[in-house]
Amino acid sequence: MKLDRDVYIAGVGETSFGKHKIDFDGLGRAAAIEALKASNIDRPDMVQSAYVGNATNGFVTGQTVFKDLGMLGHLPIINVESACSAGGMAVYSAIKDVATGLCDLSMGVGCENHTMHRAAGAAFSAAETDIETMHGAVMTGKYAMRATRYMHETGATIEDLAMITVKNRKHATHNPHAWFKGDISIEDVVNSRMIAYPLTLQQCCGIADAGAAVVVGTLEMMKKLNIAKPVKVAGVVVESGPYHNKPRDITGDDITETSSAALYEESGIGPEEVDIVELHDAFSISELLYYECLGLCPKGDGLKFLRDGQSTYGGQCVVSPRGGMLSYGHPIGASGVAQIVQNVMQLRGECGGHQVGPTPKVAMSHVTGGGLSGTEHAACTMHMLVKGW
Amino acid sequence: MATQEVKKKKEKVKEPDITFFDGNILEMPKNGDLPFLKAYRCKKCGDMNFKTTVCMECWNEDFEMVPLSRKGKVYSYSDIYIGQQGMETPYIFAYIDFPEGLRLFAQLEGEVGSYKCDEEVELTVGPIRMNKDGLPIDSYKFKKITS
Repeated sequence: MKLDRDVYIAGVGETSFGKHKIDFDGLGRAAAIEALKASNIDRPDMVQSAYVGNATNGFVTGQTVFKDLGMLGHLPIINVESACSAGGMAVYSAIKDVATGLCDLSMGVGCENHTMHRAAGAAFSAAETDIETMHGAVMTGKYAMRATRYMHETGATIEDLAMITVKNRKHATHNPHAWFKGDISIEDVVNSRMIAYPLTLQQCCGIADAGAAVVVGTLEMMKKLNIAKPVKVAGVVVESGPYHNKPRDITGDDITETSSAALYEESGIGPEEVDIVELHDAFSISELLYYECLGLCPKGDGLKFLRDGQSTYGGQCVVSPRGGMLSYGHPIGASGVAQIVQNVMQLRGECGGHQVGPTPKVAMSHVTGGGLSGTEHAACTMHMLVKGW
Repeated sequence: MATQEVKKKKEKVKEPDITFFDGNILEMPKNGDLPFLKAYRCKKCGDMNFKTTVCMECWNEDFEMVPLSRKGKVYSYSDIYIGQQGMETPYIFAYIDFPEGLRLFAQLEGEVGSYKCDEEVELTVGPIRMNKDGLPIDSYKFKKITS
């Protein structure tokens, strides 16, 4: 999207990720309050629009989040759903309101509670009425097919895939909001329960609950709110996935390739300038493929990029510095917002034990959504953030 | 004494769930010929696809049906150990590539760990899941080529 006006991020907030006994609205509200307070917003009538990403918790989720903050009646609240891309799209929509001049202060929230509402022991399908769902499709298996083909074409092994989990869990070691963290061996990843060959349990993101929120506004608004470190939005992209039933290379990802190309062009920032990335590492294989799809390394060099340490602290681009979805788990609506929250905190140097050094200047996020038949993903949302102070 | 009209209580009859899924793709000839999959070629631009509302290239609405080859290649597959809610595991699914230039997601019959990428497989029809009434739903599936 061409940004007609500069847009900045003020306060951000996120809850811890994991199993919560607090429902989606309480999680979203906790994150929203944190983001509002961090933005020095002290009245219920200041924010001019809000978007709330959620995929599975029912109707009017956004109004439910905001209802007892005294904000209802003061602003339009729009509920956003596009499976895993819902939260990213909520922030995108808030940015769009400010960029187009529709308002000067907006916010995007993402929240989800899965574990209070669904039975354990089953995998997610993408779209209920989809022809692939009818035939037993689950997201784990769809990503597993990408891994099977990648291993077939490149000779990579399950041990290679496991290195992604090992890296991301290590990144999360000192992150208080991450769910699964710390040392795990390649053997432990490989020998964990088989979910969808070749993906074992420890190569799959956990089904988690959480909330996250981001406040955005104009530069004038940042000054008015006295924001010390406003983070500038250098570019935003939302795309819908190309639909066809012809063969496609699933070791690539058409929508990630076109979305990132659009984001690089819009922001004027190339992949070699990106310091950190939070991407859709819902499964080990996806991070490996996305190194190449995002242009962080040449096509075919993903494994080399990983093995050479280019995607960890001290490397060319730290990928999943918070630990990614493989450490946070993946509460569908919250994930895309949490990526942005963490990227903002990294740019501000506020990440403590998992702070990337030297402090990054450019942070990118990438979250896809849905596994509709005929598409690789139904949606892809990307944000490019830079230091704005 | 006034006669009271006895209102017959309407009994709700539950419609039975489907036991056969054709999805406008699978044809089971009544004369006993082998089942086949159907693709549709746009009569205006020639683009081929499975059944769509309009041609996705030119929005034309006239198609001719093209029977697909009964054999295709496994582009990729996965053995599923944690499946959809209510589905018995393990099961196997795959993308099948046809010589006509189309790809279809389908279940594979047989043992987990027995398939490979690029292996040729053959169309069959069999149960893909249970319906809401507890009866199997038949649809297209693929199996190893035995002959």
